[in-house]
Amino acid sequence: MPDINLTDWQILLVKLAIILTVVPIGALAGGYVLHKEMAHMQHRLGPMYAGGFHGWAQTLADGIKFIYKEDIIPAAADKRVFTLAPAIVFAPVLMLYLVIPIDRSLIIEDLDVGLFYLIAIGSVGVIGVLMAGWSSANKYALIGGLRAAAQLIAYELPIVLASAAIAMLAGTLSVVGIVEAQDWPFLVWPPGIGLALFVVFLAGAMAEMSLPPFDMPVAESELITGPFTEYSGMRFIFGFFFAEMAHMIAFAAIGATLFLGGYKPIVPWEPLENIPGVVWFFVKTAFMVFLLLWIRFTFPRLREDQLQKFAWKFLIPVSLALILVTGGWVLYA
Amino acid sequence: MVMTDQKQRLEEARKPGFGFGLLKGMAVLLKHLFKRTTTIQYPDEKQDLSPRTRGVIALKEENCTVCMLCARECPDWCIYIDSHKETLPPKREGGRQRKRNVLDRFAIDYALCMYCGICVEVCPYDALFWSREFEYAEYDIRELTHEKERLSDWMESVLPPPPLEIGADVPDEPTPAAAQTTTAAAGARPATQTSSATAARPAQAAAAPKAPTAAPTPARPKESEPGVAAERGAVAKAESPPEASAAQPAPVDQAPATTPVEEREGAPPKEVTEEAAKEAGIGDVQAATTQVPNVEVPHEAPRPVALEPVEDPEAVYQQVLDDQRRKGSSPQVAEARAKVARVKAERGIRRGPTPVEVDKPVPSAPTKAEQAGAPVEPTPSGAPKAEEPAPEQGPVAARPEEAAAAPQEAGAAHPETTEVSPSSGEGAEDPEAIYERVLAEERAKGSSEPVATARAKAARMRAMKGTKGPGS
Repeated sequence: MPDINLTDWQILLVKLAIILTVVPIGALAGGYVLHKEMAHMQHRLGPMYAGGFHGWAQTLADGIKFIYKEDIIPAAADKRVFTLAPAIVFAPVLMLYLVIPIDRSLIIEDLDVGLFYLIAIGSVGVIGVLMAGWSSANKYALIGGLRAAAQLIAYELPIVLASAAIAMLAGTLSVVGIVEAQDWPFLVWPPGIGLALFVVFLAGAMAEMSLPPFDMPVAESELITGPFTEYSGMRFIFGFFFAEMAHMIAFAAIGATLFLGGYKPIVPWEPLENIPGVVWFFVKTAFMVFLLLWIRFTFPRLREDQLQKFAWKFLIPVSLALILVTGGWVLYA
Repeated sequence: MVMTDQKQRLEEARKPGFGFGLLKGMAVLLKHLFKRTTTIQYPDEKQDLSPRTRGVIALKEENCTVCMLCARECPDWCIYIDSHKETLPPKREGGRQRKRNVLDRFAIDYALCMYCGICVEVCPYDALFWSREFEYAEYDIRELTHEKERLSDWMESVLPPPPLEIGADVPDEPTPAAAQTTTAAAGARPATQTSSATAARPAQAAAAPKAPTAAPTPARPKESEPGVAAERGAVAKAESPPEASAAQPAPVDQAPATTPVEEREGAPPKEVTEEAAKEAGIGDVQAATTQVPNVEVPHEAPRPVALEPVEDPEAVYQQVLDDQRRKGSSPQVAEARAKVARVKAERGIRRGPTPVEVDKPVPSAPTKAEQAGAPVEPTPSGAPKAEEPAPEQGPVAARPEEAAAAPQEAGAAHPETTEVSPSSGEGAEDPEAIYERVLAEERAKGSSEPVATARAKAARMRAMKGTKGPGS
């Protein structure tokens, strides 16, 4: 590797550039996968024309279309809050990517409290959602915003508890440290516990992102598009579609990192070590994306009260019990 | 049972344990992810549509008679038809000028059309068809209004109609025989052709009234004979009488058909026949002989006897024709009058043995009739009955006269019949009889059917209650 000397500012710029290219591309790719996977699960073809080859440019074309659309702000809306909300939704999603280790040394900022940071930043987006819902001066938007807030409070806890259990297993909050601690991915070792933690984490993550089985905030049959009902054009795409995709990919990457061993081979076997960590990371992330979408296409939307019940009466007790079990495992195994 | 089965199945489905249903659902989707897609990339590949796909509606312009049925039935009002009348010169010298509709515009606005196909269904002349073409999208909505030229172009893709199912009725296409019948109607009739078609007539003439009840089968099929059916018009109607009187095979044929009715109804067919005979010009001579309580005599089937002396409608026809010619009427007029006369004569015969109670909505009618001494009712009812077949039979104009004639005879018949069965009294006491009488009177006056029925019912009601009506 040639010796390149860069100032801190230059390094920061490069990092920013990487994030600002990787995230949109990832989101577009995620959107394409969404279209295609859903279509084929329903015996359809999905987009086939845009870009020439199997509609690869469909999401790009959609994005360009949205950029050209008119940006409408309702007269009754609280204009400043209304315009700021999509940025507040989208920015934390970008910030999630800061601490995700693509390879052992390929990480933008290896924070000592990486896991804590992930959880904290991941919840900021809901403030933007609430802002959008409140400022739109629209009852559907308001209901959607409030639902999103209630949902975040309910599902933040299982995520935090599951992550706490992971931190206990790894003995560190550093994301790289967590990956390094996984000789076998946490998913399979400690047996049972890891799998249960994974399920809890998955449910919580999907609820936090408002992905379909838990997409009550944007339930289109009841609330049109929930907090984003009044949005159009760029604001809509960034606040809603783009952010959702980027968020999903970020959580897929986090899930791959925490439970599937991140950039390490799936099993500790010598020949597999030759495959670069980047490949492992992307394969695992892709699998997670596929899994999240698969779950998303399978299950129908819950009712609002079912959602709350599921969180408070099932997921949270289970994750508390899992912390207990994990503690026992850490102490005695 | 069903419920428990369902429950069992549900429980079995749950057996593996909590959460496995979710995995099952996901497995289904995963399985389907690898199945072949069913999408047809339309403009690139085309579906193999069934041959009679309902794509667009085609117009066979020659067949359209501008009857406007399609335009009127169209729920979207998307059919536009313009036409004008064209006067054709008379076929024969001195004849009437004919008028004909000429189609000027026939357009379907496919921007409005909802492809319900009612117009195709309703078209009586096979002018509209479904075509399997469906690619006629336009950039301008106005282009979606297809004028008749474009609609006719679609005819190219219309398939010939499918073959009839085995055992299906042969459609009423105008056959050569029918055509000849038509010409025959003009005057000289070739007996050979008409006979097959009209042979049914005599039988029908006598049996027709009964058709609805006892003997629908014998009369029906003959009626639907192609020739006759096609010639349902007034003209064709007039032909039957000659055979009716000439062939006169009725005695043999009809007896079995009619008897059951008589038995059941206990009504006096004879009287009616006789009445008919009177109308046709026979004296009361017959009436005297035939006046017997019918309940006793059902099997004799003497109707033909009553008919025999009837003036041959054909003779009437000829006579009137000659009269008219002598008077110097134009041939058309003479012919028409002669036909009317013949139809009347024929109708007289046919009015025959009809116990009206057969069709009466009043359930108690037959029994009442029996109690009241049958003769009373049937007489007046003979008239209304005769009207039933009338609409298909011919010139409506003939109707009022006839109806007028009937009740008079009915009246004439009355005294005699009352004598025979004193129980009926004046008939005034029996509400049923009153009903019949008022009905007949109303019809004679030319009241419309609903009005006549209503008044008759009112009269019956009054009779039942014993109150006096406005008229009495």
